Amino acid sequence: MATRTDTSAPEATKVPAKAIEGRSLGRIAWTRLKRDKAAMAGGITVILLIFMAVFAPLIVGWFGHPPNEFHQDNALLAAELGGLPRGDFLFFENSGISGDFLFGLEPQNGRDLFSEVVYGARVSLLIAFLATLVSVLIGSTMGVIAGFFGGIVDTVISFLMNVFLAFPLLLFAIALVGVLPDKAFGLSGNSLRIALLIFIIGFFNWPYIARIVRGQTLSLREREFVDAARSLGARGPYIIVKEMLPNLVAPILVYATLLIPTNILFEAALSFLGVGVQRQVVGEPGVTWGGLLSDAARNSVVHFMFFPGMAIFITVLAFNLFGDGLRDALDPKSKR
Amino acid sequence: MRNKGRVLAAASAVFALAVTAACGSGDDTPKTQEVKPEFNAALTSVFNPSDKPGGTLKMAISSDWDSVDPGDTYYGLSWNLVRLYGRSLVMFKPVPGSGSSELVPDLADSLGVPSDGGKTWTYKLRAGVKFEDGTPITSKDVKYGVMRSMDKEVLVNGYTYFNDTLALEADYKGPFKDKAADTKAIETPDDQTIVFHLKQAFGGFDYFAMLPATVPVPAAKDTGVKYKEHVVASGPYMFDTYEAGKGFTLKRNPNWDKATDPNRKALPDAYDVKIGLNADDIDNQLISGDLHVDIAGTGVQPAALPKVLQNNDIKAYADNPAVARLWYTSINPKVAPFDKKECREAVMYAMDRTSYQAAFGGEFAGGQIATSIMPPQIPGYAPTDIYPAGADKKGDLDKAKAALQACGKPDGFDVTMGFRAERPKEKATAEAFQQALARVGIKVTLKGFPTGDYFSLYAGKPSYRNSPSTGLGLMTNGWGADWNDGFGFLSQIVDSRVIRDSGGSSNLSVMLPEVDALIDQAVAETDVKKREALWAQVDKRVMEEAVILPGVWAKALTLRGKGATNVFVNEAFGQYDYLSMGVAQ
Amino acid sequence: MAGPAGLECPAGPAAQAEIVVTFFIRRTIGAVLMLFVVSIATFLIFFGLPRLAGATPETFAARYLSRTADAHAQQVFAEKLGFYDPLWMQYGRWIKAIFVGTDYDYGTGIEHCAAPCFGYSFRTNHAVWTDLLDRMPVTVSLTVGASILWLVTGVGVGVLSALRKGSFFDRAAMTGALAGVSLPPYFTGLMFLYFFSYQFDLTAPGGTYVDFTDNPGEWAYSLILPWITLAMLNAAAYARFTRAGMLDTMGEDFIRTARAKGLHERVVVTKHGLRAALTPIITIFGLDVGLLLGGAILTESTFGLKGLGYFAIDAIGKQDFPQIMGVTMFAAFFVVVANLIVDMLYAVVDPRVRLS
Repeated sequence: MATRTDTSAPEATKVPAKAIEGRSLGRIAWTRLKRDKAAMAGGITVILLIFMAVFAPLIVGWFGHPPNEFHQDNALLAAELGGLPRGDFLFFENSGISGDFLFGLEPQNGRDLFSEVVYGARVSLLIAFLATLVSVLIGSTMGVIAGFFGGIVDTVISFLMNVFLAFPLLLFAIALVGVLPDKAFGLSGNSLRIALLIFIIGFFNWPYIARIVRGQTLSLREREFVDAARSLGARGPYIIVKEMLPNLVAPILVYATLLIPTNILFEAALSFLGVGVQRQVVGEPGVTWGGLLSDAARNSVVHFMFFPGMAIFITVLAFNLFGDGLRDALDPKSKR
Repeated sequence: MRNKGRVLAAASAVFALAVTAACGSGDDTPKTQEVKPEFNAALTSVFNPSDKPGGTLKMAISSDWDSVDPGDTYYGLSWNLVRLYGRSLVMFKPVPGSGSSELVPDLADSLGVPSDGGKTWTYKLRAGVKFEDGTPITSKDVKYGVMRSMDKEVLVNGYTYFNDTLALEADYKGPFKDKAADTKAIETPDDQTIVFHLKQAFGGFDYFAMLPATVPVPAAKDTGVKYKEHVVASGPYMFDTYEAGKGFTLKRNPNWDKATDPNRKALPDAYDVKIGLNADDIDNQLISGDLHVDIAGTGVQPAALPKVLQNNDIKAYADNPAVARLWYTSINPKVAPFDKKECREAVMYAMDRTSYQAAFGGEFAGGQIATSIMPPQIPGYAPTDIYPAGADKKGDLDKAKAALQACGKPDGFDVTMGFRAERPKEKATAEAFQQALARVGIKVTLKGFPTGDYFSLYAGKPSYRNSPSTGLGLMTNGWGADWNDGFGFLSQIVDSRVIRDSGGSSNLSVMLPEVDALIDQAVAETDVKKREALWAQVDKRVMEEAVILPGVWAKALTLRGKGATNVFVNEAFGQYDYLSMGVAQ
Repeated sequence: MAGPAGLECPAGPAAQAEIVVTFFIRRTIGAVLMLFVVSIATFLIFFGLPRLAGATPETFAARYLSRTADAHAQQVFAEKLGFYDPLWMQYGRWIKAIFVGTDYDYGTGIEHCAAPCFGYSFRTNHAVWTDLLDRMPVTVSLTVGASILWLVTGVGVGVLSALRKGSFFDRAAMTGALAGVSLPPYFTGLMFLYFFSYQFDLTAPGGTYVDFTDNPGEWAYSLILPWITLAMLNAAAYARFTRAGMLDTMGEDFIRTARAKGLHERVVVTKHGLRAALTPIITIFGLDVGLLLGGAILTESTFGLKGLGYFAIDAIGKQDFPQIMGVTMFAAFFVVVANLIVDMLYAVVDPRVRLS
């Protein structure tokens, strides 16, 4: 958990969740969301980023060079300077930024940084989305069970959540990635690595969702419509699925949206520390923003740090803006 | 870059304060230089020669090395440093240029005297040499030092040359297991004489006598792995303070007598070695003159490279020494399709040698493109280039395709390449392979391993690297000469008999009985010229087999700090000679 | 139980005190239990999981030996370090050493590792505990400086934003805060270093650290960038919490009452509003500081500060298991203790807290 604060704490956990009421909520929320310019900007950016990830080959085909391709001509990289790109642009000294290389070149091997950054969105978003899904599945299940059944079940689950929160999360993730074999579950190479990262990030984050869902369930349990269902003879599972889940969708959606940027940061942190997805196979880039930053840190060339770093920043900010707006829109009591 | 002056001023202020706080000597500020500095001025001659004693020589390094214990260290920089506080039987002559390849007696009064056809080597110690506490040094102390160094369960670092060559008894246990342990393999007929008995004749035993393991250690003061905290000095300096992982200071050893030591100038009054400074900061402090030398000797960081190369004032304080080290890639003949020689040759031809060089930082920081295994400064080096990579050194794709055709894989094949994940240059190398080999259809999958386990558990372990499921066809590798001769460079990487099932050997791909036989022949050869020719033959023979793809013969762009005197590169180490440097007064 | 027999105690306060004491004891037991579970999980991950992935006692031992060690040496070491014993036995030994210390045989003699013995690294020949203590000052310096910085700026900005809700300042501050929580510290850190240290030479280069006791001025100079980097993240988050909390409390009845009593607005804000809004902030603050004391991995590795976080990464890179175990437990300990302290403070300060 120590590292959690270090990578920016998910605010989701710290803001008390409130019960969400009303049936025509979806429409009201959409109206509100449309009026929130910041949230809309965030949302549009998110959609653009997803497009960028999906259509990376096309975009790179138009504006860049194939990923992983080396450009080591002496005209581009200065051999006498140990392979730094030639050409300055604004304060980006030795960046090689030009119409041909929009973000400049990577020192020494001359890869097109623009292509690298565009492809980096793939791993980043894939892992962040799927890890969030894992967290939501585990977290919601645990949260509903704890909140609905209460008593000893609640005590055990709550204790478990606290245990998870006491783990030095980043440390564990790094160690786990290092310890595991390179072939397992019928996967190998990067596919295994990605699956592993999704599982680790998702698995360690479930308490955040569980806490919210548990709180919501606790308050829903006392509500009239649940009582009504119960007095009509409905049993636990039925009440959970038919009566409570629909009311839990909105808060889960909001906190899932807010968990995505946290997971992006987490994945980037792991890559930065050298244990993320690696470039392994030709034609399968495996490049990550965090990995680019860690390479850049060793070279001290500013454009190499700037573009991957900004990619992380913009992506995380977009999700945060959108998530914030979504929360405001779905929760009439929250103020901005 | 504009504000460099201020950066340095600020940095120097910080450092001056730190130094003052640490050792209370604030008055050794360097004076202006008399000598005009020049690029490579310390490469083949002495830069800023001086005989003036005094001052504190300030050294730093960004990460710790194995140990300062003479019996437990396997780092070139450490062997370079040990000479300050320890005296081995013989040493490389501390002079610039090729003169440093000459062995001269140090603790012994002459080089080893062979008898029994090179199976017995006798040394006589100089008279009047003492430990720091005034006790006379006897041949028993030397014998004890060698004996303790052979226990690899206690002193785990370092070479096994003595273990492998001395005629040890089968039940020999060593002094740590049995205090009374003794061996007839090393005899001390009197306090001044030490005799080594070998299993087989070995013409180059003087090189072993140069190893820090022959530095005398008083048995009564030995504390095993903790001895590094209180090494008992036999050289001109002794430990003043020692803080594990942080640094140490050396002061003059009052019991060292210059009359017994023709090799050492011992100019500075003290040495201050700081461990764990930030690598970029070390470069800055060297440029500003707050430090005299970066003892890692591996050159400036990428961040400082453009600064050094672009600014002539800074470049004048830089040298570009060649290090007897080869960065290479092992091609594993035990993994299909590399069991076919032509498939290996395809890789040799297809690789882009300039991108290998670029991965290591280019010509200055990386080194020279290598065409064979043995670096040029090893005596006996004979230029060979069996797999020419074209005029532009970017590989010969036609020949590569022809080789692929010949090995029955005209469309290429898939192969996995291992590298040490925490080494950016090796990662870059692996990526360069991926790019270059893809041009002829060879698909390389990269696999990074934890650096610490690379040789012991993965690439170095035959059961792992040769297994059909985890097989590694290509593996990044690197080797530095233990000392500059054919045996010191080649024996550990091309002799198939050093490969162990338990892992750990650097030889990942060379298993040729013919080469083993050539090595035996060279080892036994007492004629230097003939021996050197044999080593060159070994080099060529291994190259013909296409199991090693040489990358670069390493070079380093190093900085000599302002205020350092008597600076030169000792070719035996490929680093500045730490023994000879002084401080401007 | 109202005290020793024959003594009359007033029932109310005694019962209250008893409840508090019971609460404390229960929480402490809970905390110990939690550390226990964490320690088992940690042990399983580092010693159990690799076994499943194909590691053997000899490969564990190989990590403590040189590359040149042969199979025999590996067996001897595996035996010496007890890697052939069942896992639960190894775990038991590890826990026992924490409480009573243990002896290690390193060849030339017995090395005593005194309690609390968190293991002994055969790579560095150091007790892990001494290494941890050695790294503590860096991490503590980093945490203390950064936490003061983010608490002051975060709460300050949050309060001002709440008081001027909807103003330009509010909107700018809140946008800035959102940007702040979206910035990865290794990116900000790298950019700060590049510009402030290497281009404008205003701050110390990365990797510099001077002990406070050596020179407080240099200490602060060397840490200012890491402080700002780390503080930026949390300051942004705290500004958002504080603002939300202030807006909540300023709308409550007791504030209206205070205003109605004719109290000066400043008194209303500071004495009543801020106090109520700050209580949850302090809770979070306590927890965050606890987390950071276990090592700010990213900030420390970006700036090359050799604190606990750097130590941890280093240990993982070298696969030095005793060190990894030690630092993980150390970090977990801080989190659990911070939790406990916050809980207890709450119970003492806020009588409404449910003492369950």
